[in-house]
Amino acid sequence: MLRCDHCLLEFPDREAVNDTIDGHEKVFCCIGCSGIYHLIHQEGLEAFYKKRKWNESGISSSLFQREPDIKPFAEHVTESGNNREIDLYIEGIRCASCIWLNEKILLKSEGVEYARLNYATHRAKIRWDPNRTRLEKILKRILSIGYIPKPFSESAQFRIQESERKDLLVRLGTAGFLSSQLMIYSIALYAGYFQGIDPGTKRILELIAMLLTIPVFFYSGMPFIRNTLHGFRHLRFTMDSLIIIGAGSAFIYSVCEISAGGEVYFDTSAMIITLILLGRYIEAAAKGKASETVKRLLELSPRTAVKFVRNQETGVDERETVLLTSLAKGDLVEVKPGEKIPLDGKVISGKSESNESLLTGESRPVRKIPGDEVIGGSMNLYGTLAIEVTRTGKDTVVSGIIKAVEDAQAHKPKIQALADRVVGIFVPAILIIALVTVVSYLARGSSLHHSLMTGVSVLVIACPCSLGLATPLAVLIFTTMASSRGILIRNSEVVEKGARLGHIIFDKTGTITKGRPLLKEVIIADQSLARDHLLSVAASVEYMSEHSIGHAICAAAVPSFPVTGFKTLPGKGVKGYVQGRRILIGNRVLMQEEGINMTPLGRLDESARYFEGQGDTVIFVGWDGEVRALLVISDIIRDEVPETMDSINAMKCTVAIVSGDTDITTRSIASQVGIKETLSGISPVGKRAYIAGIQKQKQRAMMVGDGINDAPAITEASVGVGMGRGTEIAIESADAVLIRNDLCLIPYFVGLSRSTYTVLKQNIFWAFFYNIAAIPVAAAGVLHPIIAAGAMAASSLFVVTNSLRIRKQKGKGIIACGP
Amino acid sequence: MWTIGFLIFLSIILGIGAWLFFIWSVKSGQYDDVEGPKHRMLDDDDEK
Repeated sequence: MLRCDHCLLEFPDREAVNDTIDGHEKVFCCIGCSGIYHLIHQEGLEAFYKKRKWNESGISSSLFQREPDIKPFAEHVTESGNNREIDLYIEGIRCASCIWLNEKILLKSEGVEYARLNYATHRAKIRWDPNRTRLEKILKRILSIGYIPKPFSESAQFRIQESERKDLLVRLGTAGFLSSQLMIYSIALYAGYFQGIDPGTKRILELIAMLLTIPVFFYSGMPFIRNTLHGFRHLRFTMDSLIIIGAGSAFIYSVCEISAGGEVYFDTSAMIITLILLGRYIEAAAKGKASETVKRLLELSPRTAVKFVRNQETGVDERETVLLTSLAKGDLVEVKPGEKIPLDGKVISGKSESNESLLTGESRPVRKIPGDEVIGGSMNLYGTLAIEVTRTGKDTVVSGIIKAVEDAQAHKPKIQALADRVVGIFVPAILIIALVTVVSYLARGSSLHHSLMTGVSVLVIACPCSLGLATPLAVLIFTTMASSRGILIRNSEVVEKGARLGHIIFDKTGTITKGRPLLKEVIIADQSLARDHLLSVAASVEYMSEHSIGHAICAAAVPSFPVTGFKTLPGKGVKGYVQGRRILIGNRVLMQEEGINMTPLGRLDESARYFEGQGDTVIFVGWDGEVRALLVISDIIRDEVPETMDSINAMKCTVAIVSGDTDITTRSIASQVGIKETLSGISPVGKRAYIAGIQKQKQRAMMVGDGINDAPAITEASVGVGMGRGTEIAIESADAVLIRNDLCLIPYFVGLSRSTYTVLKQNIFWAFFYNIAAIPVAAAGVLHPIIAAGAMAASSLFVVTNSLRIRKQKGKGIIACGP
Repeated sequence: MWTIGFLIFLSIILGIGAWLFFIWSVKSGQYDDVEGPKHRMLDDDDEK
């Protein structure tokens, strides 16, 4: 086996592509890698090969070689006849070709009978013959092509949602089919009204129309009927009661009129139910789509940890992957760099730093040495740690925060949608109008039958069937537009809440800032030095460092000098020899101890103290007895923030920052982006209380955050926004998620919900308008099915075209940002 | 008159047929993955 010089993948010798570049023999796995190597070489970017910090291929080879751990899968296997079946979630799927590849590879494997992946959910259903293959082999096969199979268990909630959606689809399909059949007979009846029709034929057509309406009303409309009866018991009038009053009165009226020889309204009755069902289905489908994507953002697999288990025979500790839930107090677990610390615990061995910003808001990585406490959910940065678990289950820090989230959820007031509020007034009003009509007809001496029928005809015309479409259509276009920009809408209520926002509150670390230390400023003391040269020297020395500051410097420059005698001085800095010079990088203490003269610094020292006053870390670089430069390292603000703040200010929203970090850091960040209100050193529960305080004054607040510590506040806020690359808990408690962490989507989101809300109000107005205009016609006793059908068509058409206008409003008052 | 009756009967029978087909398609999961078919039709399945 050879190793490709570009991509580092191993490949068989016979496939080698040999090449000579500047007299060096190089070997590549394919023409593509060789081409890229040439290109990089020509552009003088060879530092890439030195700079890259891996010595294995980009795709971790451990993924290929790793033996699949079959234990978590075993319980999901089901029997199907002589075969076995399993549902998997396959991680790493990006496009249609991935699906194609997985399906083909699996189907060509010995013993696999059936393999099919769902494009939307990335779930695979695999059926195999246990006599010819084993689950382990199948999993290995998937791993071998670079995808990671994970056990998938549908949550109960998901299964309910799915079966509800299916049920709705069947009801809608049935109603749609019957209504279209019904229209054939209704048109014949309309024609008969104008041209004259034989009464016998008319009756037959009417009877057929009735037969077609019965299933629409009693089967497709059953959920509405049930809700209406339930609502009436509490004297509550919802959208469902309006539908049933409208469709029901149309049905009853028509049944009575068949024998009397009058006009029938079966088409109105069926159409109302069909259109409302369509609206509900649109709503359910949009909701399902968003929750699918959110689920993909969250980790789907049961979380695992690597536990040390003592082998009884050999007495040696062996590593074993176990489920997080099976860990107990006192267990020893191993956490590699870049992994999450599974539970609260104490470091037993190893040295590292952990990023706790998601839990505490503290922007600087925290040093961890044996004896230190670590918090579950924080990120282990640079070294492998062995940790003794000290707290599990409900006692952990994260569980405490989750409890606060649940508490906020339970107390979150559900706002009534605008359409429901209108309906709540409208239903009693039309009931009264209908009653007045009946009474006045009776008073004028009409027959009881005639008076009642006129009253019912008022109810028939009053029900606007496009009302059911008014909100879902606007919301559907809103969610589609938002998701095309990278905002996932999890809760459609945000349209109405987002339109009337008064406050926007941001978390600091990870939301306003990038959430990790980066090189912010370089101040050169020795003017003869070039900035790039100095940084390159510093980066070369820091290249070996396992400290976050070293990583920040290396991220900003290319290390291009060989270093000898590298040494880390804990709590002070690093030193190493470059071209025979002893280079020192570290804080004041290190400089003084190593005999660097700090006195002639003067003005430089002033600026160092200025930055330190802002909460930044200042690092000195020195050699030959003098300070050569200052490096300012800090958690820097996201590039798009100033622009975002400008457009938020133009929208007349109050902005504030709440953070768990220190006051100095928070204030300095806030003043840099022009935010006046700050609250620092605050606990997760404190953040929630702050939001609750604003909302008590009848103001609507939006909370934008990424950390576990923001989750209670995100839940509490009218509109909670989570950062897509943030923690699962933040995403799960949010109403909307910014998939790409792009803050300039916030003003876009607010602008879009404002224009959507305007369209929504117009929709509701016009949905009612035509029907209300026709009420006097009905009260006068001259209503005809064609008028009812006309009102229905006109208002539906208006609602659909008006909703489409939302798409054209995207430019208004919204800054251009991103593609 | 007889023709109308026959045509109505025929349309209802055909309609019910279409409706049953729809019910079958929902029950058998045709609507579960509405994204996939547009990609799947592009696969070359020569060997099958």
